[in-house]
Amino acid sequence: MKLLFSLIQVASFFLFVAYAYCNSPMFRMRRLETASRQDLAVLYLFFSVISIGGTYLGLPVHGALANTRAIGPVLAGLVGGPYLGLAVGLTGGLHRYFYGGFTATACGVSTTVEGLLGGVVHLYLARRFGSERPLSPVTAFLTMMVAEALQMIIILLVARPFSDALQLVKVIAFPMIAANSAGAAIFMSILKDRRDLYDQVGAASTARALRIAGRTLGPLAKGFTPEVAPELAKIIQEETGVGAVAITDTQTVLAFVGIGSDHHKPGMALAAECHRAITQHDVLFMDGAHEPYHCGYSDQCTLGSVLVVPLQVDGEVIGTIKLFEPASKRFLSINRTLGEGLAHLLATQLLRARYQEQKNLLVLAELKLAHAQINPHFLFNSLTTIQAIMRRDANRARELLNHLSTFFRMNLKRSPEFSTLEEELTHVNAYLEIEKARFQEQLTVEIDVDPTMLQVKLPTFTLQPLLENAIKHGIADKLEPGSARIHAFWEDGAARIDVEDDAGTYFERKERGKDGLGLGIVEKRIRNLLKGESGLTVACDPHVRTCVSIRIPAEEARA
Amino acid sequence: MRTLIVDDEMHVREELETLLSETGEYLVLGTCSNAIQALRAVKAMRPEVMFLDIHMPRVDGFQFLGMIDPERMPLVVFVTAYDEYALKAFEESALDYLLKPVQAERLARTTEKLKRFLREGSRPAYESPSLERIPCISGHGIKLVDVAEIDFVRSSESGVHLVTDKGEFLTELTLTVLEAKVPILARCHKQILVNLRQIDEITRQEASSLIRTRSGKLVPVSRRFLPQLKERLLIR
Repeated sequence: MKLLFSLIQVASFFLFVAYAYCNSPMFRMRRLETASRQDLAVLYLFFSVISIGGTYLGLPVHGALANTRAIGPVLAGLVGGPYLGLAVGLTGGLHRYFYGGFTATACGVSTTVEGLLGGVVHLYLARRFGSERPLSPVTAFLTMMVAEALQMIIILLVARPFSDALQLVKVIAFPMIAANSAGAAIFMSILKDRRDLYDQVGAASTARALRIAGRTLGPLAKGFTPEVAPELAKIIQEETGVGAVAITDTQTVLAFVGIGSDHHKPGMALAAECHRAITQHDVLFMDGAHEPYHCGYSDQCTLGSVLVVPLQVDGEVIGTIKLFEPASKRFLSINRTLGEGLAHLLATQLLRARYQEQKNLLVLAELKLAHAQINPHFLFNSLTTIQAIMRRDANRARELLNHLSTFFRMNLKRSPEFSTLEEELTHVNAYLEIEKARFQEQLTVEIDVDPTMLQVKLPTFTLQPLLENAIKHGIADKLEPGSARIHAFWEDGAARIDVEDDAGTYFERKERGKDGLGLGIVEKRIRNLLKGESGLTVACDPHVRTCVSIRIPAEEARA
Repeated sequence: MRTLIVDDEMHVREELETLLSETGEYLVLGTCSNAIQALRAVKAMRPEVMFLDIHMPRVDGFQFLGMIDPERMPLVVFVTAYDEYALKAFEESALDYLLKPVQAERLARTTEKLKRFLREGSRPAYESPSLERIPCISGHGIKLVDVAEIDFVRSSESGVHLVTDKGEFLTELTLTVLEAKVPILARCHKQILVNLRQIDEITRQEASSLIRTRSGKLVPVSRRFLPQLKERLLIR
């Protein structure tokens, strides 16, 4: 019994070593599949030391040792598989062999076998139940028990004289099996706890990073502006829980939230540390101890440490994010990592916002181009008509000139992005007055709009191009008189606008590549508004009718 | 100068007519609002000069030119608002063109040019694309018949008829124009053009031969046109 307690004492020493190891920077318990050679070497050394130490701290019993040597190889096998187990077992075994005594050979062999056993158990459990299963204290306990029993058998088989071996085994079998099994189980639970903790911290910070990413995406879509900065700073502070957060561009502070916001104000010039981070394109950390941080604005400021992360987009620094902690609080290294990652994240989002903006500009440019191409045609035709009418009815000609100037002024002066249906209809009416004068009784247009829809929001230049298509490529290509209809109504909560003509030439003109720049651009802009969903459909009954429909869900239409 | 105006917009026709009259050089025989009307007018009125819009319903200005019998082809002045495609074509084939709105000074230059051409009796050759659809009169409306649908074309006292599976259609186009502008139509008889792609077999009779079309119609072949018909069939 005394022997058992002594052994437990020895095992406790190794548990102490294990705990120290797990809390050291050396500890990086990855999944075995992703472990590098270096990781394996560290594990090998660690477990070998445990094993050899077990021999040295062994208790002399009848010319042999009661010891905890087996813990090293068995755990190495369980954690790292058969190769690691075998390697550690061989190392511990060889050491034991040269240590001497009548059980030298038996113990040398058995240590190697025990390491291999741990590895085989690992292999079996990992294949059968997944790579986490070998890392359980119960497994360690049972494997160790079997391993030590095996050792006793090997001693009986190998050590001579047999009577001494039997005598020895009688004394050491129980204490060694019990102490080593318990030691292995506790050892394993230390490893496992530590690892679980790592996982939890990792998961929590990942979740936090994702949450920040999700929350910042919306505001950043508008770009990096003084309006967006306060919202951004607030999100970062809430999620990281740091004392204060500042966002700056390359000249001034754009936003500051948290401790010290009484004297850190937006609009202030940048502090020295910001300039350093910006010019060096690098993260700057002043932890308050090795590198003290003093607020440059006020002596009373309680902030004691700061992390400055430059925001880089396309290789150019456009500002910084600063995380502060008060002097009374330690700057958590997790927040430091997060802060650095955050800058990357925001930069990516800004890049996306820029890309989106450029895409919009491109569509707009295309639209302007289309107008530049279409309008001269329309202009000259209108002037021809007005010229003719002037001869007989000067007043009518004057009216038409007014409509013409309304039409062109609206082309020039409208908001480039969105208009209400009412504005679109005004544009359409000016256009229609001229076309009616041109085509006379050849053209009739009916406009049927639900009055509650007048404030519906549409991309500017949606309706007129659609009607122009219907007239120019539809009705104007008919020998007989033609008619068009604009019909706007609510449909299942969505704003629906149909532009219909009775020519039914959509397929024909598509075949001839004459489907008009107009339709493509209108489609693109609606798709943009609906974030990628197509809101435009064309129905065509050849030679009977073409109907172009727009459908905009109420949320977008009312925004 | 005996003149025809063809444009689908009423105001443009009126304005042009006024401008032409003001010069005192033109006698406006009539105005037409589409190519089909114009085809009939060219046949009936034999104008010397035609002012022609390019954008017109169903059959545009260029296609229309291809439908006119070369014998009766007037001098053509295109009138257009703004059209790169059209402007390019002007340089090659048109006598002259006017941009809308038409200016009197510019028209005066055109008038001089027209007078000179008529005096010299020269005629520009208007290159026009081959025809793919033939305008026909159907009831009160116009039907455009795809050339692939034609079995054969026959000319009679009542006019030129396109014979198809869906029936016979009367057209204003002459056999000469159809033969020249539709590559798959070949002369097999003084008054008949046959669609080469529809020929199923040719059987020899004592005096003349007979074509059986894919749809089973019988078309006479005169001895005079048999050699060239055979030649075309062998080549193709």
